[in-house]
Amino acid sequence: MLKPPYKTVLKPYGQALVDLARDRTEIVCITGDLTRQCEIDLFQETFPDRFIHAGMAEANMVSMAGALARRGHIPFVHTFGVFATRRPLDQIVNSVAYPNLPVRLVGFMPGVSSPGGPSHQAIEDVALMRALPNMTVIDVADATEIRKALPSIVDIPGPVYLRLKRGEIPVIFEEDHQFSLKKAQRLTEGEDVAIIANGMMLSSALSAAEILKGEGLGVTVVNVPVIKPLDTETVLGAVRGTKAVVTAENHTIIGGLGSAVAETMAEAGLGRPLRRIGLQDTFAEGSRTAPHLFRKYGLSTQDILTAAWSALGRSGPAPEAPAVETSEGEYAPV
Amino acid sequence: MIPNTDLGGLADRLRLRAAKMIAPHGFGYLGQVLSSAELFAALYGRHYRPGQDAIVVSPGHYIIAAYAAAAEIGVLDEKLLETYGFDDSDLEAIGTERSPAVDLTGGSLSQGLSGAVGFALSDKMAGKDDVLTFALCSDGELEEGQLWEAALFAGHNKLRNLVVLLDANDSQVDGPVSEITTIEPIAAKWESFGWDAYDVDGHDAAAVDEALGKAIASDKPAVVIGRTSTVHGLKALPEGADGHFIKLPRELADAAIAELEARVA
Repeated sequence: MLKPPYKTVLKPYGQALVDLARDRTEIVCITGDLTRQCEIDLFQETFPDRFIHAGMAEANMVSMAGALARRGHIPFVHTFGVFATRRPLDQIVNSVAYPNLPVRLVGFMPGVSSPGGPSHQAIEDVALMRALPNMTVIDVADATEIRKALPSIVDIPGPVYLRLKRGEIPVIFEEDHQFSLKKAQRLTEGEDVAIIANGMMLSSALSAAEILKGEGLGVTVVNVPVIKPLDTETVLGAVRGTKAVVTAENHTIIGGLGSAVAETMAEAGLGRPLRRIGLQDTFAEGSRTAPHLFRKYGLSTQDILTAAWSALGRSGPAPEAPAVETSEGEYAPV
Repeated sequence: MIPNTDLGGLADRLRLRAAKMIAPHGFGYLGQVLSSAELFAALYGRHYRPGQDAIVVSPGHYIIAAYAAAAEIGVLDEKLLETYGFDDSDLEAIGTERSPAVDLTGGSLSQGLSGAVGFALSDKMAGKDDVLTFALCSDGELEEGQLWEAALFAGHNKLRNLVVLLDANDSQVDGPVSEITTIEPIAAKWESFGWDAYDVDGHDAAAVDEALGKAIASDKPAVVIGRTSTVHGLKALPEGADGHFIKLPRELADAAIAELEARVA
């Protein structure tokens, strides 16, 4: 693993999709009028015959993708996460999930990474998609994971919801990082607290772990890119080996990763103090930049530290997360 | 496809099969068959080529008509029709993934047209010029926004291999469509979306047949609007019967079946 500030790259998804589609001629690429924003301008240039403009019509786009999948295509459907899930929910259910078709819904700008106001913030997309039978739900953390994930998801027989950060994507994992649909990854080992995170909160989880380690605490960080089906074995292993659990997700705490971990712990009869970092059942307003929202709504490294401190029953104030300086083109967790 | 079939007779045989499927339950989607019988008769009797063309039944409630028609042309075992609507039958009353004899059906209204558009687009991309996609839609579905998204897409992409058969029976759950939402002028709406539209008496099987022929030949996506009634062709029904979900108690079912058997004899 690399250290913050992370260097960033542009359009790792767009490049990975083109690389994948070169040999996989079943892949068709569909856009809901957000081509450049979803990094698929490269696909449009490279494979114009397999590029479909659906226009701003998400309901038709999703049902049409289902029919294309019935004909043997593997449709990758692109728009922002809000428009990929909220708006065409019934179409996803009836035209894709129930018939268990290999449609890949790719939703950009997860959670509060969009300063575009509540209309553009996919804060419950994971909960919605997780509730659907047959659906695989993935939230990746960095450019390496994006690149490794794509070849893994192409042959899943049913539908997939893939949630992706937009714009500059950090490189957290080194080239030898393995992505698995079945296994979550323990990134650090320790016996005091487990921090279970994914997506844009993974870098914050790693930073928090580093700071807690400096306080003499042992931290197990688990990266869970595949929220459904959840690797309950790895989650339970991390919970069993620690005294307290913190989950961290760029999403509402209802129905996403935190809920999935809580359900898993409860069903296994594993009692541990649990804190869920994420939006606390609220919409997120009032920002020009995303980092402000991460701080304002409790999704920062400091919030993870405070939660771990409280879950472990520590007295006194939690350690402070130092600000990480970044230069142009670098990324550091908030 | 059955050449030289008397389409009116075929339509009545669909009504009879549907009455028999619904009779054991005492109620069901008979009105949908009474209204669309001539549409299905013209489509299955003259134009639809099983194994080559795709057939989509957008409102899943109409699946009963597709079952009856498929049995009539020999692509569905007619013994299966007896299981219609019973527990664990593959022939659920509202279409499902298990529904046989169609390429796509649905229960949530208007999604079928998007599916048909997907089939037609796939065939166009693959250069399969000899494959048609037929979609049965209902006038109530015109109230759903998604239907017009699909119509826009098909018009823009000139999906000439797509033909919609629209059962304009002026019936939805709360009453006549025309009293709930003004959807007229139907033909002009489709035309303005880049489609050819043919507005015909949907109980005149010959007129439907002719319009379907023109729709298939059209160089645009095309819709045949059949003006119909949910209580057509069954005199035994009482005055004011609710055509959306017809109640068919034993005595009425017997009378309906007797009337239709006499007519198809």
